[in-house]
Amino acid sequence: MASNWQTVVSERQMGERRKFAASLSMDKAATWFVLVPVAFFFVYPLWKLIVLSIQTEAGLGLHYFQEVLVNARTWDAVGHTVLAAGISTVISVVVGVALAWLCAYTDIRWKGAIHAFALLPLLIPSYVMTLAWTQLAGPQGVLNRAASWVMGSPVELWNVYGLDGIIVVMGLTHYPLVYMLTLSVLYRIPKELEWAAHSAGASARAVFAKVTLPLALPGIAGGGLLAFISGLDNFGIPAFLGIPENISVLSTLIYEEVIGFGPSAFARAAVLSVLLGVIALAGTGMQWVLLRKSRVDQTSAEDKSIRRSLGKHRLTAEVLVGGFLLVTSLLPLLSMAATAFVKAYGLPFVPENLTWKHFAFVMFDHAGTKGAIGNSLMLASMTGVLCVVAGTLFAYWRIHKPSALGKAMEGAVALPYALPGMVLGLAMILTWIEPIPGWQPGIYGTVWLIMIAYVTRFLILQVKSSTVSIMQVGKEVEEAARINGGRFWTRWRRILLPLYAPGMATGLFLVFLTAFTELTISSLLWSSGSETIGVVIFSFEQAGSTTYSTALSTLIVGAILLVLAAGSLWKRYWQRRIEQ
Amino acid sequence: MNSARVIGVSKKFGNVTALHHLDLQIGQGEFVALLGPSGCGKTTLLRLLAGFESPTSGEIWINNECVASAAKRKPPEERRIGMVFQSFALWPHLTVYENVAFPLQHQQQVPEAYKQNPKARVAQMLEMVGLGGMEERFPSQLSGGQKQRVALARAIVFNPTLLLMDEPLSSLDAELRMQMRKEIQFIHRELGTSIVYVTHDQSEALAMADRIVVMKGGRVEQAGTPHDIYYAPESPFVAKFVGRANFLKGNWAAANTFLLEKQGASSLPITVSRDFSAFFDQQVLPVRPDQLKLSVWHQGSDGIMGKVAHVQFQGRELIYSIRVGEEEWEVVTDISERFAYDDSVLVSICV
Repeated sequence: MASNWQTVVSERQMGERRKFAASLSMDKAATWFVLVPVAFFFVYPLWKLIVLSIQTEAGLGLHYFQEVLVNARTWDAVGHTVLAAGISTVISVVVGVALAWLCAYTDIRWKGAIHAFALLPLLIPSYVMTLAWTQLAGPQGVLNRAASWVMGSPVELWNVYGLDGIIVVMGLTHYPLVYMLTLSVLYRIPKELEWAAHSAGASARAVFAKVTLPLALPGIAGGGLLAFISGLDNFGIPAFLGIPENISVLSTLIYEEVIGFGPSAFARAAVLSVLLGVIALAGTGMQWVLLRKSRVDQTSAEDKSIRRSLGKHRLTAEVLVGGFLLVTSLLPLLSMAATAFVKAYGLPFVPENLTWKHFAFVMFDHAGTKGAIGNSLMLASMTGVLCVVAGTLFAYWRIHKPSALGKAMEGAVALPYALPGMVLGLAMILTWIEPIPGWQPGIYGTVWLIMIAYVTRFLILQVKSSTVSIMQVGKEVEEAARINGGRFWTRWRRILLPLYAPGMATGLFLVFLTAFTELTISSLLWSSGSETIGVVIFSFEQAGSTTYSTALSTLIVGAILLVLAAGSLWKRYWQRRIEQ
Repeated sequence: MNSARVIGVSKKFGNVTALHHLDLQIGQGEFVALLGPSGCGKTTLLRLLAGFESPTSGEIWINNECVASAAKRKPPEERRIGMVFQSFALWPHLTVYENVAFPLQHQQQVPEAYKQNPKARVAQMLEMVGLGGMEERFPSQLSGGQKQRVALARAIVFNPTLLLMDEPLSSLDAELRMQMRKEIQFIHRELGTSIVYVTHDQSEALAMADRIVVMKGGRVEQAGTPHDIYYAPESPFVAKFVGRANFLKGNWAAANTFLLEKQGASSLPITVSRDFSAFFDQQVLPVRPDQLKLSVWHQGSDGIMGKVAHVQFQGRELIYSIRVGEEEWEVVTDISERFAYDDSVLVSICV
């Protein structure tokens, strides 16, 4: 009897055997499916860059290194780079830690508003913020004009152009990085540790110095290094504030080499890129080690209760913080908007001088701008969609099939983002002119190369955001769908996608916004017809058309704020549905 | 006919062998508890039955169909099994109704009546687990016990012939656990579904199962009715893990005679009626705390004298630690007669 039905059943299953056998080797196929594109898109371009830097007419050698390293301009640029990144990091750490401590520990009011303002510099592109600063503190800026008006004679209180301006604006652009990392560490320090120190007789000051600070230090140092790396990476700030004054940093020097198009320009740029890349990767490596050393458990719950009362100093602290945030974020943006509304640059801001015509010009009349807005919208949307699909699948694969190889591949995907944008841009040119010997896809100089570069650079942002959501959804949630008959598409459509949506959407927003206003890579890769918004603003500024650059920038800031508001509303609605 | 059969199944994870050539049968309508400490392989066995893992060797049959062997595996979504997870695994973005109705939409061979009228079927199930009228709630609006009931309703709504439960009560508090035991028993009685229930809590297994399979190190240590497992443990491990046991030292003179070591006197013979051969090697006699009786020690009494080392009052019972010579025995008594710390007591053994 038993043997009877066994034969019947096994006959039926013979047909299915092949299907099951195939599903077992699916894992291997998936690994190759990830490995090959990762190697080609993320690792190969950097390899090309390194090869070019050591390739000379006489074979491999350090000829170009020698040529670049004996040039005084190189060392000027290295000095400016290190100074700008270094001192701006100090500013970022001081501001970021103070703000984080106030928000995490004390009873200061309007924390939500402080938080939103503190994150603004990360969301508004740095070149727009820099342009705004030139309108606040440039020679013709609000600050100096107000000072002259008060004094009754022309005075220059402070001029934002130059190395000091680069340092200040960079510091104010990157402090949110320190603020965010410090905030997350401070929230996670168990308050029992501080209570234990108090009950052992330590004063408030001693508790801070001996318990809070040492525990928060890895977070603070990690944030500081991130600010430093971002300082090396930044192109917009030194391009707007340094190039007019003939002050170069490494990223602007590479840019000038490449667009200068001299003989061996690419090779010299490649050498500079290797130099800058090595410094940046060393910083990233240190940051990684520091974060791993952190003794505060990153997975422990956040404790947002108030731990310190500011007492009678509360109002003072609030006024100081509010004043700081208004002066450093709102005032520059308002100055920029004011410039965009005046008929001609330099006229006083009075009703009879105001006009809409600059906005109308950049939106409707100037073909280049119209094309650039279209390009940037298309680039940001395509990049966002490609990244959200590829990034989420990659994150899913990484989490559900953990392996050393997967970890290495995530490192490879993170590489283009850890490297300065200028370095990646050059690597992209070198790779995609002729990716495989004999094959010239002809995409150099088109928006498609910019899109490939964006996906390569920003994919890691999506991977990280999606990872957060995927980690939060337990394995059993998907298994419950499987055991209840949910097949692959059913599971993704009904269970996984709705649950992963917050992380996917966060990543999508981040990638979209970053790509929409990107300047560094596109400044290197654009040609006529493939301009981006960043490139157009930069060109307006270089041509001295400040009213147009400010008008377009003001529009962009408005658009960003709208997108952010819509995004946070959607997220709130969605979270409420899940968490109630 | 069996609901499920596990034939010579081994499972390796890299170099670690989680299951060693294991055999198991689950009869139709049977409630089988897989009991063991963590790492014994009970969860691996359950996941093999569910289809989340493939066996390294051996075969798994469910309802007269080979669903897994070393070469092939039928995926979980095609096995038509109900399952309750340790963490409930409710889908937080779906309402209670949508959670429970999911299997009706996606599971195979759902009775046509349920498919035609899922609302009525879901309402019936929710009524059964005591959550009538809660269809529109989201999981986050429910208490832990209510979540577990929804998970239970979801697992049985499509009339599975096999229901797997992975430590379903371990994330509930003590009082709720006792209540849920009754409900699971009720559902088992009502539906007649075969249940494989994984737990590390021996009292859960003893309370609900028709048959307990005690596992250790990837092997079956002993399988039998709760009564057999408790009163006739076949190995020191089972004696120790299921209920508590004192291992009395001495030696086995014959298969039915144990000579208990006695301090400063001749050994005391104890006659046993069942097979204790598993304990011959170690020369011990396993005795449950409730198989030891205490009475007042009188000068010159014949028997085993002990001294009370600890007393723990537990409400309806007392737990004593009695020092007998070098050993300390655990004794559970009712509260009718109480002894205090350092009292001398006469210990009698009733096996």
